[in-house]
Amino acid sequence: MLRKLLMTCAIRLALSLALLMPTGFSSFAQGADTSSEAILNDPSAPAGGNPNGNLTIVTFFDYNCPFCKKAEPDLERVVKEDGQIRLVYKDWPILTKASVYGARMALAAKYQGKYDAVHSALMAIPGPKIPEERMLDAIQRSGVDMPLLETDLKNHADEIDEMLKKHLAQADSLDLRGTPAYIVGRFRVASALTYVQFKQAVADARKQAAKK
Amino acid sequence: MHKWLLRIAIAVVLSPIANATAFAQQPPAAEQVFKLAVSRDADQALRLEWTISPGNYLYRDKITVTRSDGFPLETDTPRGEHKDDPSFGETQVYHRTAYAVVEPSASPPNGTLTVSYQGCAEQGICYPPLMRTVDLASLRVIDPVKNARPETSPSDEWISSEPGTPFVDTSGTTDEQAVLRGSWTSTIFSFLGFGLLLAFTPCMFPMIPILSGILAQSGGRLTARRGAALSIAYVVAMATAYAALGVAVAWSGQNLQAALQTPLAIGMMSAVFVALALSMFGFYDLQLPQAWQSRLSGADMGRSGSILGAGIMGFGSALIVGPCVTPPLAAALVYVAQTADVVRGAAALFALGLGMGLPLVAYGTFGAGAIPKPGPWLSVVKHVFGLVFVGMAIWILSRVVPQWATLFLAGLLFVALGVALLMNFLRRRKAAGAWPSAILAVSLMALIPGALAIVGSVNGPSVRVFEMVGLSTGPDGNAEASPYERVTTTQALDLALGQARQKGKAVVLDFTADWCVECKIMDRTVFGNPEVAERLRDVVLIRADATDYNDDTRKLMSRFDVVGPPTVLFMKSRATSEIPDTRIIGPADARTFLARLDRLHPSTTLTKSGE
Repeated sequence: MLRKLLMTCAIRLALSLALLMPTGFSSFAQGADTSSEAILNDPSAPAGGNPNGNLTIVTFFDYNCPFCKKAEPDLERVVKEDGQIRLVYKDWPILTKASVYGARMALAAKYQGKYDAVHSALMAIPGPKIPEERMLDAIQRSGVDMPLLETDLKNHADEIDEMLKKHLAQADSLDLRGTPAYIVGRFRVASALTYVQFKQAVADARKQAAKK
Repeated sequence: MHKWLLRIAIAVVLSPIANATAFAQQPPAAEQVFKLAVSRDADQALRLEWTISPGNYLYRDKITVTRSDGFPLETDTPRGEHKDDPSFGETQVYHRTAYAVVEPSASPPNGTLTVSYQGCAEQGICYPPLMRTVDLASLRVIDPVKNARPETSPSDEWISSEPGTPFVDTSGTTDEQAVLRGSWTSTIFSFLGFGLLLAFTPCMFPMIPILSGILAQSGGRLTARRGAALSIAYVVAMATAYAALGVAVAWSGQNLQAALQTPLAIGMMSAVFVALALSMFGFYDLQLPQAWQSRLSGADMGRSGSILGAGIMGFGSALIVGPCVTPPLAAALVYVAQTADVVRGAAALFALGLGMGLPLVAYGTFGAGAIPKPGPWLSVVKHVFGLVFVGMAIWILSRVVPQWATLFLAGLLFVALGVALLMNFLRRRKAAGAWPSAILAVSLMALIPGALAIVGSVNGPSVRVFEMVGLSTGPDGNAEASPYERVTTTQALDLALGQARQKGKAVVLDFTADWCVECKIMDRTVFGNPEVAERLRDVVLIRADATDYNDDTRKLMSRFDVVGPPTVLFMKSRATSEIPDTRIIGPADARTFLARLDRLHPSTTLTKSGE
């Protein structure tokens, strides 16, 4: 009895000790497209918030990721209230086939300046397994010029593919395991956050940047 | 070395007992969260079983099985839990375990199938789908070939952080490395706390008589202050020994724990206790050599001398107790080796040692005040401690000497005690009161089982008698009853598993090592148990021997995410991986073991459930 108890304690202890250790050193592939510069300041990546903000948040997400969708309004709210945050969107469709479809549509909408509208429309559909048809339905109602979108999707197919591949490589280089993931300043956050947690992350990132 | 330790640490974090907090930072890779095992039911239906780390779930409708030609196969899955959340919609999920069954008609005897599944962590992250190929002939789950990631090198480019808690405490330092590793104070205090927890394990018991011995020797000068000084010296020295251990590990990269458990080291520890005991019996005074003492400057020579003595004893005690607290100590050493920061590692282990010693300081200080003035009782106390020390010596030695020798020595100890008491009785038999008869009774209580133990040790395992008198040391010699296959490489293991599969037998895979004390105990109490031995007859027992810590044995352990021996895995016949939630980690008793054996042959009734 006692022995079992003590063993459990020892295991707990070992666990806690293991937890103490710093984890997740990020690795960086050699390619230029996974540099921190490319992750933070890729001019072709869709961005929101204040373009001249003093802090950058990068969000890696999937249009079939329920946690991404849950966290999205909180993130948008923090960005809006703060006023000094630049928000970079990295479409990272890894969960379903439809996710890739959604990501391509959103990136194609960027050519007519409607990325935000399509992105928001797709993020607003709750659920982990939204099929392409339902995504298309939401996109059509987002106020985007559909014929133009189809044309851009066709004409810029290579660029869009490149973009998605780049995001994949960047996520990989950051050792991200799933969606959502965020880069807040110099912090890498590997899960969804709440409003309060986003605010805390932003404050900590600023504090950390000021110390440098 | 570092990589290996890191892997162990990861295995520790990912082990099934890990609770949700194990997630605090970077979530583990999906492959480690959702583990798939494949077996065949009695009717040849293919059974896919998942073990899901706590805090994660698998989507019911994301489980798909396809033939190699891409044709989707129907699967039976049990009803899942409903996930009621607006952002999730209508979804059924599985926690902890999940299974899917493919009908015999749809699962040919050979060829391959592709299994796809997907899940999320409650913490707020969704994993990409996982694809696994199952070889139907061997039922092996083949991991996809992953493009080798470039070796991870510490990069200060991004800082890993966790949700919920303040991101990183950057106060007090602008050093990027420190930012990366959390603050010094938190490290030190954490280790201090862990040490304090360790202080309440039986491993620390020997420290009490040792310290008591030191305090008792200090005789009439024993005040609370003096007790505090002595015990602090003792504890600080003990902590220093751990710090030294940390430095040695950080520098040498050797497995000192394994070295500390060699017969030679154990023999020496035992000898130390015998020496201590002899000193307690008054054969000599345990003191520093005269030359050392005279070299010690200062007005109060004797005093500083015995404080130094306490220190030396403390240092030695840490080494004695070290092997006993192996699992947590190993985890601490992982931390040290991983940070590769000698100073910080040493400081952390010093804090661990201090934490372990804090109750001793309390005992030395307040216990000292409670000890009455010296008198004849002191020599009695000394003798009792001497006895305890001899017992400790035998106990330590029992790890490396045969069972009968332990029994013999224990018997000798009891007989000696009985004889000593008997002589005492003869001296006082004229005295009035119940005192002499009490002594006689105790003397006989020691003499009889002692003599029985000696006789028993010579005559072999007529152990029941000793169990009756509380001298239970378990049956002897029976351990050989269950034959086993000893493997030290993954190749040998595959071969043994293959043979077991051909015979259609279930497999018990036991990770053991000569230097593993708990394994020795389990050899006696579990594998030596007649009922276990009987039950193991229908099972192939494979022992992965990690006595030599080399690349082969490390691979062997990492293959099953084994942190260290003793660990026992249970695999059903023709299965390729263990039965979920049956692994025994750390010491277990025969009853637990038998219960796990029961799970090897359960009645495989499957409750099919439609939508």
